[in-house]
Amino acid sequence: MPVGYFSLILHAHLPFVRHPEYPEFLEEDWLFEAITEVYLPLIVIFQRLHEADAAPRVAMNISPPLCEMLADPLLQTRYTRHLENLLELAEKEVHRTAKEAREFHAVARMYADNLRESLDLWNGRYKRNLINAFRELQDEGVLEIITCCATHGFLPLISTHEARRAQIAIAVANYMKHFHRQPRGIWLAECAYEPGVEELLKEFGIEYFISDTHAILYGDPRPKYGVHAPVVCPNGVATFARDIETSQQVWSAEIGYPGNDLYREFYRDIGWDLPIDYLKPHLHEDGNRRHLGLKYHRITGRNVPQNRKEPYIPALATEKAAENAMHFIGERIKQAYKLRETFEGHPPLVVSPYDAELFGHWWYEGPQFIDFLFRKMHWDQSEIAAMTPGDFLDSGLPIQVQRPTASSWGENGYYKVWLNEGNSWMYPYQHDAERRMTQYCDAAKAGRGDAAMTTRILKQMARELLLAQSSDWAFQIYQGTTVEYSSRRFQSHIQRFDLLAQMLEQSSPPYEGEVATATADGQVLSPEQLELLTEIEHRDNIFAEIEHRIYCR
Amino acid sequence: MSEEKKDIATGEETLEFVLDEPGLPGSGEFVSAAAEDVSEAEESAEPSELDEEKMSPVFKLLARPSLPRLESENRARLQMQSPNRLHFYWSVRSNPFQTLNKALGAATSNYTLVVRLVDLRRESEELHRIDPEGNWWFNVDADSQYRAEVGFYAPNRPFVRVLYSNTIETPRKSPSRRTAAEAEWRVPAQKFAQVLDVAGFKQDAFDVAIAGDDADAAGDATYRAFGRLSGKPASEFAGLDTEELRYAMLALAAGATLEQLRFRVSERIFAVLERLTADASKAEALAALRSEFDIEEEELLAEEEEFGPAVFGASLVNFPKRTRLRTRPRGFDRVSKFEPMASHSLAAR
Repeated sequence: MPVGYFSLILHAHLPFVRHPEYPEFLEEDWLFEAITEVYLPLIVIFQRLHEADAAPRVAMNISPPLCEMLADPLLQTRYTRHLENLLELAEKEVHRTAKEAREFHAVARMYADNLRESLDLWNGRYKRNLINAFRELQDEGVLEIITCCATHGFLPLISTHEARRAQIAIAVANYMKHFHRQPRGIWLAECAYEPGVEELLKEFGIEYFISDTHAILYGDPRPKYGVHAPVVCPNGVATFARDIETSQQVWSAEIGYPGNDLYREFYRDIGWDLPIDYLKPHLHEDGNRRHLGLKYHRITGRNVPQNRKEPYIPALATEKAAENAMHFIGERIKQAYKLRETFEGHPPLVVSPYDAELFGHWWYEGPQFIDFLFRKMHWDQSEIAAMTPGDFLDSGLPIQVQRPTASSWGENGYYKVWLNEGNSWMYPYQHDAERRMTQYCDAAKAGRGDAAMTTRILKQMARELLLAQSSDWAFQIYQGTTVEYSSRRFQSHIQRFDLLAQMLEQSSPPYEGEVATATADGQVLSPEQLELLTEIEHRDNIFAEIEHRIYCR
Repeated sequence: MSEEKKDIATGEETLEFVLDEPGLPGSGEFVSAAAEDVSEAEESAEPSELDEEKMSPVFKLLARPSLPRLESENRARLQMQSPNRLHFYWSVRSNPFQTLNKALGAATSNYTLVVRLVDLRRESEELHRIDPEGNWWFNVDADSQYRAEVGFYAPNRPFVRVLYSNTIETPRKSPSRRTAAEAEWRVPAQKFAQVLDVAGFKQDAFDVAIAGDDADAAGDATYRAFGRLSGKPASEFAGLDTEELRYAMLALAAGATLEQLRFRVSERIFAVLERLTADASKAEALAALRSEFDIEEEELLAEEEEFGPAVFGASLVNFPKRTRLRTRPRGFDRVSKFEPMASHSLAAR
């Protein structure tokens, strides 16, 4: 029996960004970069570990918007174009560096080789749909894929029971569409919990959720094993909370592994270094410089300016990743012994959740670290065993009943990042749409125009509301990154919701209760309205399977 | 339509005014103004290559999103930002003064439109003069329950409530005082302090260790210690959060300045500290604590925050770092020294 258990939880999420109205769109690159740098490498590593019989057990959230984007034909086509273009640049770079920048030649070759392999995997083995690959990994027993709030909605800041419930119900339905089974666990967006959320989870068959450390440590009554064992809410839904030590060791910008001098420097990119004319075929049509993903320097030193960075040496970075993995396991063993002693023999569980995008995108060597971690864990020691939260629930180990406390994993542990002076203007609009959504759905259910066209409009209104609720917009406004785009996206979805609501309202006068009567059938829409509805559907095509009646009281 | 009833929290007379319908979320200048601001700001985000003439009406409509004007409604929504801060937004559907005049006639001249935040647990309230639409940030206490109300206030007259919000429960920001009822899960304070310590919550660990198993007794001891520090009777502090008060005294005893505590304790506690302990020295704070708790000076250690929220990537993650001045980790193995301060030991003092 191991001394302790370790549960790696990866949270893979990107907001739904898809702009068919433009031939290309800068923010779609978020997905493309993540596929190349994170999702493909992780899939390859997990598959190789599985083939090597190294039995990794990892819980991974693939959020519903990410699932929808990965399965979207338009984005698949655009990613193929993106990857081909990048490979073309990488191959150009192999020739250029051979002649005029020998110190970068090995790195350039590495990129070209990796991208060529990625393109082969993408087109060949995975047939351009990574959902199939993730599903396969779950079916093979490597991953325990969990779901997330439908559009990463921040539940405590959603105003109605129905709208909160919809975030869960739609997520579960979407999970079943992509993974052909019921999800066992959920990643609450931003680990944002408030008492009562567990009732919604139970209603939809979810067995556990992930929370932040103080959800359990400050829960009532006092948790006997602190954060190193799950607790179960009185209704039977369990929660697993984040271990601080492993969070800091891997993630902290001050002391985390990714800051090592030998690792690749994220911010130095050939998109900013090489002549614009040379890069032009590989940039967007606007011709603006941007990160292209080909980076030739290492961190070198915390205070070393960008123009003094030294060349990246992949072999040294790989060695360091192995060393860090070894160190990580050593620390886990020490931690397990200490916890076990504190717990008087009870085996501890260390839960380590991270953004998946840390591994490969922000920390280029992150996937290698995971690879080494599981290999070493499997072959070089026996004190620590990897398990998923689901495995723990199946283990039969007793679990304390507790009421967790309201919390999130964001800065300061509560809701400040998503509700502050800079973004509080969003909530009256969001809450108004939430309230109206239920009123319209109730009206339709009551027979006031539950016709095909009404249903079509209501489904699209639900999509717009869900997209407006993405916590990503408020987060990015707070952080000061892509503020314009995030504000615009929020406004777009609220505006579209309102335009659609007008279609429902205008066909007949309001009835008592001041909710407009729903449209009787498609004939009442003018050609312009029909064109507008079709265009909105075309753009915001998330959740084809959506069931709007979930918003009914 | 109006209804008269006793206010639960304050015991004052309250008139209930229902304007059209129960107060649920509407529109407001603040909302419209915010919308206009954002729309203007976003114009620069328009894709510059768009050719206006080639755009279809639908494309044009969707390419320039703007927030719709919210319909005039009664809205009153209270939201939690943190255990010590709440956000409230409201709007009143129709002119509330007209309705008030209609109901009360000439007797309304002294009335002012206010927001009233009611602390339902401590039975206290605060009032602020407001416009019919707007938003407000409140500094509040952890582990309490709040409701915001919009209404008319006049001295020595009944409060006329127009709208009221949802209720918000602010969470504890310290460990629960309660251990499990089942023997299997019961954990004494000393052991729980170790559990918190290994979880990285060292400040809470220290506090749980010195408070011991009898939370009520530790609370009384805290009030007495603070009474000694401030020179006031302990009974004056009833209702103040004892964990937070103890934390403040520990920080002062470790050498923190009052100013360093400003955003680390609730506004209520800070106001008390500012009023009563502005001149207190480190030695006085330590002496006050030691009069009730088993603490040595060398256990208190001034220390910088360990980690900020920045992580590699786009996130900001919470790490426990509540104090710049934290206590030196206790040697929990020295059990005799850190025997929890149970009620009998406190009583023996």
